Formats: sequence, structure tokens, C-alpha cells
Amino acid sequence: MARRSFEVRRIPGFGAIAILTIVLLYVPILILVTFSFNAGRSQAEWEGFSLQWYRAAFANEQVQDVSIRSLWLAIAAAGIATVLATLAALGTTRVGRFRGQTLIYALVNQPLMVPEVVTGIALLIFVASIKVATGYMGMGYLVAAHTAFCIPFAYLPIRARLETLDLNLERAAADLYASPVQAFRHITLPLLVPGIAAGFMLGFVISLDTVVITEFVKSAGQDTLPTYMLGQLRRAVTPEMNAIASLFLALSLVVVTAFFLVSRRRGA
Amino acid sequence: MKDGSDGTATDAIEIVGLDKVYGQGAGAFRALTGIDLTIRSGEFFTLLGPSGCGKTTLLRVIAGFENPTEGSVRISGEEVAHLGPNKRQVNTVFQNYALFPHMTVAQNIGFGLRMLGRSRTEVAATTAEMLRLVRMEELAQRRPAELSGGQQQRVALARALAPHPRVLLLDEPLSALDLKLRKEMQGELKRLQAETGITFVFVTHDQEEALTMSDRIAVMSAGRILQRGTPHEIYHAPTERFVADFIGDTNFLTVPVVSVEAGAAQVELPGGRTAPARLPEGARPAPGAKVTVVIRPEQARLVPPGEGEMQGEVTSSVFFGTDTHVHARLTDGQDFVLRRQNAGELADPSPGDRIGLALGDGVLRVLKD
Repeated sequence: MARRSFEVRRIPGFGAIAILTIVLLYVPILILVTFSFNAGRSQAEWEGFSLQWYRAAFANEQVQDVSIRSLWLAIAAAGIATVLATLAALGTTRVGRFRGQTLIYALVNQPLMVPEVVTGIALLIFVASIKVATGYMGMGYLVAAHTAFCIPFAYLPIRARLETLDLNLERAAADLYASPVQAFRHITLPLLVPGIAAGFMLGFVISLDTVVITEFVKSAGQDTLPTYMLGQLRRAVTPEMNAIASLFLALSLVVVTAFFLVSRRRGA
Repeated sequence: MKDGSDGTATDAIEIVGLDKVYGQGAGAFRALTGIDLTIRSGEFFTLLGPSGCGKTTLLRVIAGFENPTEGSVRISGEEVAHLGPNKRQVNTVFQNYALFPHMTVAQNIGFGLRMLGRSRTEVAATTAEMLRLVRMEELAQRRPAELSGGQQQRVALARALAPHPRVLLLDEPLSALDLKLRKEMQGELKRLQAETGITFVFVTHDQEEALTMSDRIAVMSAGRILQRGTPHEIYHAPTERFVADFIGDTNFLTVPVVSVEAGAAQVELPGGRTAPARLPEGARPAPGAKVTVVIRPEQARLVPPGEGEMQGEVTSSVFFGTDTHVHARLTDGQDFVLRRQNAGELADPSPGDRIGLALGDGVLRVLKD
């Protein structure tokens, strides 16, 4: 009698659960995308293929407005977060063990653990008091809030990449007369690029997608694409929203695919 | 000086009173203790010892990757204990080669010179020269991942030699290669050393590699240097049990001292015959004291029973082709292994045979306690 190792596929109901999960995950998305091409207004009845909702979305100035705001917010927040995350990753892997190392790790990753609503309310109060004190009402608050939220997502792939880098490479550079700055510039940084790119893209997608924190922090006229869509849906559900959501999905897919390709690249 | 060097500034490396301790208090670990070592210019010097003996730590202290806890390190007369690795004119060949994966072979080799701020033409010329030296001209534009282990090894050597360091440090560079390639690279290393005239400090746990390649060897154990000398001295005149045991096969016999003269003692061999045995420096055992003497298996000859200095009974014979190892029990019960060259087609002795063992002149050595 052969002793078999534990295999999840042999658990009763495995197939059913797997299929149910996939259906719940992907069928709604499939329906959303399908009805974005519907010729009629219905979300339940197919009336023929049409691109009219895409045309409507592109013609809608408000949509253009919030899309551009979302994109540059995501680029700014992910960019700043990536720089900070790179420094944090270097500071937690390229130095000797020090007191409070675990605490710093926990602090960096705090946004992953604290419920978003709590962060949102905390930011709302914090930002309100600054607004009163300074009178500044610009996008800085959103950029700062998104940056803080993106840091752990950028930090994790960068740190993972640093931990797999052979320390002997940096030693070899120092041995070959490179100063610490030169060793970082010529060896560590180029080898870290896949991790940094992955961190940036992850941060970008997260920022693009964030609703709760934006909702709490934004001032009037600072809607991002997701908060704008939410606002529209409260009034009327139109296939135009389906079209916007589908485009949004396509953009996320492109970035996530790029993330996957970049993070899979090793050594080169 | 202990190792017979005159200690002038022309020595490549001079280490005095070096200690390396990791951690503090109860958890502290002494990796190196009281290392005094002089390596002469142009020498092929080997640090030999089992894993964990401190040989790699010592190499890393010389390279500057580790700071000594105590003591001084001089390279060409200059104190470097406080200098970083990028300020020392030594280069390292790493055990795993540590080639820069995002650079070509040529860029790897030129890296040290570029960091030294040499001109483009000089970097290009030296890189070409190094590629020729290690016979890698055709692969200059390849990436390390596209090279075999032996080729990576050559690139690592060329990269470390390109800035023409005063000393080249090699950390078990051959251990990742298969046997045939290892033999080939051993010859290659000797050739490179002869051609460049650079001092090589070579770390290995392979005693045969150490014996065949080195001008001098330091045998290390538990963070200390036990003995240093030429391969001949280390092999034929081990002063410590560990050294005798680690290098080659050895017989240890416990025998009483009969009398002591200058530098030698008469000892009573099993069976009652006396023979001279050389004493280690400074040792003067009292007559009657028990000492350990060493004899290599090939230093005893098989003779008919009754002849020779010792008598024994064969317990087993193992045929190796070029020689036969004869295991015997001596008259006082101590075990002895003798290696007989099979020059002709000789019959191997059988268990139970009585044999005589003749010792060559002056082969017995007394060990330090």
C-alpha cells in the first residue's frame, strides 16, 4: 500500500468549490465587459453590439477630467512611495541587526493591517485640522495619503529582490575599489531595477483603485475615477459606466502583466 | 620570526597578534586567535584546514570584509586594519565567483580599473590582455549566465588580476568544479601566478591541492595556525597530531622515551628495539615519559619476520593497484598500517601472517603534546 502525501485535490468537493470560486470571481467581470458593448441601455438584455457607450465615455469631459487626475495622482504617489520604499528596504536589509528592526518592519507595513476606513477617518480629521490652520486645499493631501498607502506595496517586492541579491556581489565591487556609492550605483541599483519597477507598478495599481481613502481626504472637485464612478452609480446605472470600468480593467491588466513579466526577470 | 621570515617591508602580508571575535559576552565566538603570519612577496601561500577552522575568516580580514578585533594587518608594509576593502591593493576570487550578472565578461574584467579611474584606452588594453591571459577572448561579450563553471572561474580570476593587485586572495576557488576541471585549473593557477608574479593566498580544505600547489602552507584548526612550512616540512615533519592526521595517512605510536639528546630522543619501539626520533623544537621529554611518534605508511617496509625494527601480525590487506595497504597488529597490540609499492606482481600478505617492519633512517618524529 503506497502511502500518499496530502493532496488537496482529493478532498471531497474540491472541484465544486474551485468552479464556484472562479465563477464568482470572473463571471461578473465578464458580464460587465459584455454589456459595455450593448446597443441598448439594459444591463440584463442583449440588444446588439455597439461602441456607443465608449464613444459617450470618451466624449464626457468629466470622465476625462477625473481620469487624468487619477493617473497623475497614481504616478506621483507610486513614484514617491517607490523612492521611500527603496530606502526603507535598503535600511532594513543592508545594515546589521539593530534594535527595533521588527517594529520598523511592522510600521512600514501598517497600511496593510489597519482597516482602510480607520485610516480614512483618521486622515479626514488630520487633514481637516491642517486645512483650517493653513488654508491649503490642493491635491497635496491626496498625494500624501496615497503615497503612505502605496509604500508597503512598493516595499515588499523591492525587499524581496534585495534579499535574493548575493551580498558577495557588493563585496566584490568594494574589493575592486568601488566606493560604497559606486558599488550602489553600478551593482546594487541596476540589479534592483526589476524589484523597483515591480514595486512602482503595484503601487500604481493600488493608488488607481483606492476609493475609501480618497473619499475621506478629497476636497470638492478632486474626484478620482473610482469615486466619480461611485457618485454616478448612485444616480443612474448606465452602460457608460460599464465602458469606463472595462477600460479601467484593461489598464490594470496591462500594468499587472507588466509587473508579472518584470518580477519574473531574474539576474539579467 | 616564527616562520623564518626576516619581516622586512617587502613582505606581501604581515599579520601580528590577530584576534577575531564575533558577538559579545557569553554568546561570543572566537573565530581567530593569536594569528601571527608573514607571507612573502611572490609566494603561493595556502591556508589549509577543515571547514570552520577560520581560514576563510582570515582571508576576509586580509581582504577587508571583516575588521579584526585585535591585532595588526600590513600589506606591503602599510597598516590596513582600519581601511575598507576598496582602499586595499588586494583582490579576491570568491568561492561562488560573484560575477556581476548584468555585465558582460569584458565589463566584469574592466570593473576594477574603471573604479580606479583609469583611462578608457588603458581599461580596454588591460581587459584584452587579461582575456588573452585566461584564454577567453572569444567570449568577451557574453554574460556570466551564459558561461560554464570553468569559464566563470577564469573570468573571476581575470577580473581580480586586472588591477594588478599586490596580493590575490582565492577563497576555495576550485571547490565548485568537477575533478577533471579542478586538476586543469590547478595547473592554470600555477601558470598565472608564475606569469604575473603576484602573491597568491589560497584557501582550501583539500590537502592534496595544498601540497601540490603551494610554496608554503599554514595548517589551521579551531581559529589557530598550528604549523607552517613548505609542503615537504608539513608532510614529513608534522609537529602536531592534528597536522599529521589531517595531511596524508599516518601511524601514531605511543612509546616510552629512553634517553634525550640535542633535538632527538631514543624511544623504545613496540617489541623492545630502540630507535632515534626527532623532537619538535623546544621539547625535552624526561626519560621514561610516554610520547607519540608518527610514521607515514610508506616509510615502513615489509620484511621477513624476525627482521626489521618491529614485529607484527597481519590483520588485513587491501589491494589498491599501485600499492597494497597492509594492516598489522604490533607485538604490544598497537595497530599499524604499511603501504607497499607494487613494483612487481607481488602476493599480498594474508591475515594471520607474521611480518617484520623495517623503518627508514630518521623517519620517526615525536609530536608536541
